Amino acid sequence: MDSKEVKKWYYVLPIISILMFIVLWIFLSIPADSMIPSPKETWLRFADICVHPISQAILIVHIWSSLRRVLIAFAFAIFLGVLLGVGLGWSKTFYSIFDPVFELLRPIPPIAWIPLIILWCGIGELPKIIIVFIGSFVSIVLNTYAGIKDIDPLIINAGKVLGANKRQLLFEVALPATIPAILAGIRTALSSGWMCVVAAEMIAARQGVGFLIVQGQQSGDTALIVACMLVIGVVSMLMSTFLSKMEGVLCPWKFGKTK
Amino acid sequence: MEVRKNKIMVENLCKTYHTNSGDHEVLKDISFNVEENEFLVLLGPGRCGKTVLLNILAELEEQDSGKIIFDGGRPEMGNIGLVFQKYALFPWKTVMGNVEMSPKLKGVDKATRQANAQEYIDLVGLHGFEKHLPKQLSGGMKQRVGIARAYATEADIMLMDEPFGALDAQTRYSMEDAIINIWEKNKRTIVFVTNNVEEAIYLGDRIILLSSRPATIKKEYKVDLPRPRSYTDRAFLELRNEIVANTDLDV
Ligand SMILES: Nc1ncnc2c1ncn2[C@@H]1O[C@H](COP(=O)(O)OP(=O)(O)O)[C@@H](O)[C@H]1O
Ligand SMILES: [Mg+2]
Repeated sequence: MDSKEVKKWYYVLPIISILMFIVLWIFLSIPADSMIPSPKETWLRFADICVHPISQAILIVHIWSSLRRVLIAFAFAIFLGVLLGVGLGWSKTFYSIFDPVFELLRPIPPIAWIPLIILWCGIGELPKIIIVFIGSFVSIVLNTYAGIKDIDPLIINAGKVLGANKRQLLFEVALPATIPAILAGIRTALSSGWMCVVAAEMIAARQGVGFLIVQGQQSGDTALIVACMLVIGVVSMLMSTFLSKMEGVLCPWKFGKTK
Repeated sequence: MEVRKNKIMVENLCKTYHTNSGDHEVLKDISFNVEENEFLVLLGPGRCGKTVLLNILAELEEQDSGKIIFDGGRPEMGNIGLVFQKYALFPWKTVMGNVEMSPKLKGVDKATRQANAQEYIDLVGLHGFEKHLPKQLSGGMKQRVGIARAYATEADIMLMDEPFGALDAQTRYSMEDAIINIWEKNKRTIVFVTNNVEEAIYLGDRIILLSSRPATIKKEYKVDLPRPRSYTDRAFLELRNEIVANTDLDV
């Protein structure tokens, strides 16, 4: 095969793969007692919740409820996570004080915090935001810390020789050099934050895509469940695409396209 | 010949690193002078301690013993130019951003520092590349940025640590011409480190030959050849053979 043919093949393969997936799905939904809704049922249910509200909200409002929780939690996670990550990476003293506690709390899955946080904060918006915060904070801290540790010592020396004082060395040299690592942290954090919000909503919520899935379970509405699962996947994909665009804008020296 | 005053006097410099695998003596009793506006070359084999020596001159590291006396007192951080072998450019800054970094850190206002930076960008032959990022430049161009950035500190001492060591031969020759050209247009005191004998003779007013580690001073050569020099000139080749015979090129 010449390279042109190979290239064509790489466009065709994903289409075949998705078609196979749908065929398998149809096949599994055929038996009369199947617990799997057919693609057609799922599609119709999806179209239905786009216009007819469940719990006084149509689909887009549920998606927005979930997304809003993620974004609010995210603002805090980025701010505090970068602060902690830079502190751990930049100051030996800071590291000695805070790293042991961080290492101890870090391996606890965010979902394990749900019961405690619901007991503390009830079932309003706050507990969900806190859970998403926990889920995204850790990877931002870890990536920022690794990014600071990864800075080429030559770059730091260059900053010193050019006359940077301690504060300038941090803000003019170390932080800009760490931005790609922070963006990588945000990327991981976004997908884990999105998973956490769905988990949190499945336990206690009146709106959100996680809530919709639980509704589907309680009324035996499998088409609703599957439609929402697919929505979760698509939203996550869109966020990831958006982030890639942002990376190119914020950090053209790393992610931008150049000849 | 005119008598030039000493810009830097290095006296009995010693440096030993204490590591887990034992003590590494790197610099042993190094003494030399650098005259004002001189192009001095430090020639030594790889890993002999050349970078350590320059880093001490640039105040990035400290000697164990010995003295460095600067004419007019020790310059503050930011008032000595250093050019790195691996460029060490800030990858997120454009050519202009890199070159104006030092005056920016020192609080010079934007219009003044950019006008100055532009002069140095033009001096190193990068006019038109101000908005390029380092990753868009070739190795030789990156090092031109490195040189312009060091010049833009307005320091009268320029330390250059094997600045052309990472370049291919062709680019290296053109950069050697470029640096002489820059130095002749804008005279400064240059301490240029290399492990390449030809490069040393092509560039230097004077060559200080270092031994392999621990670096000691083996010999000093005055290069009295007119510029532009030629690699195939007889006097050039004779000096080259003399230096090679004395060199520990054991790497
Ligand atoms: N921070 C350090 N700790 C321990 N050893 C070092 C350190 N810096 C340099 N050295 C050692 O000093 C020697 C000289 O290094 P360097 O000055 O970089 O050589 P070069 O002449 O090639 O520039 C090397 O053997 C190196 O391992
Ligand atoms: Mg070196």
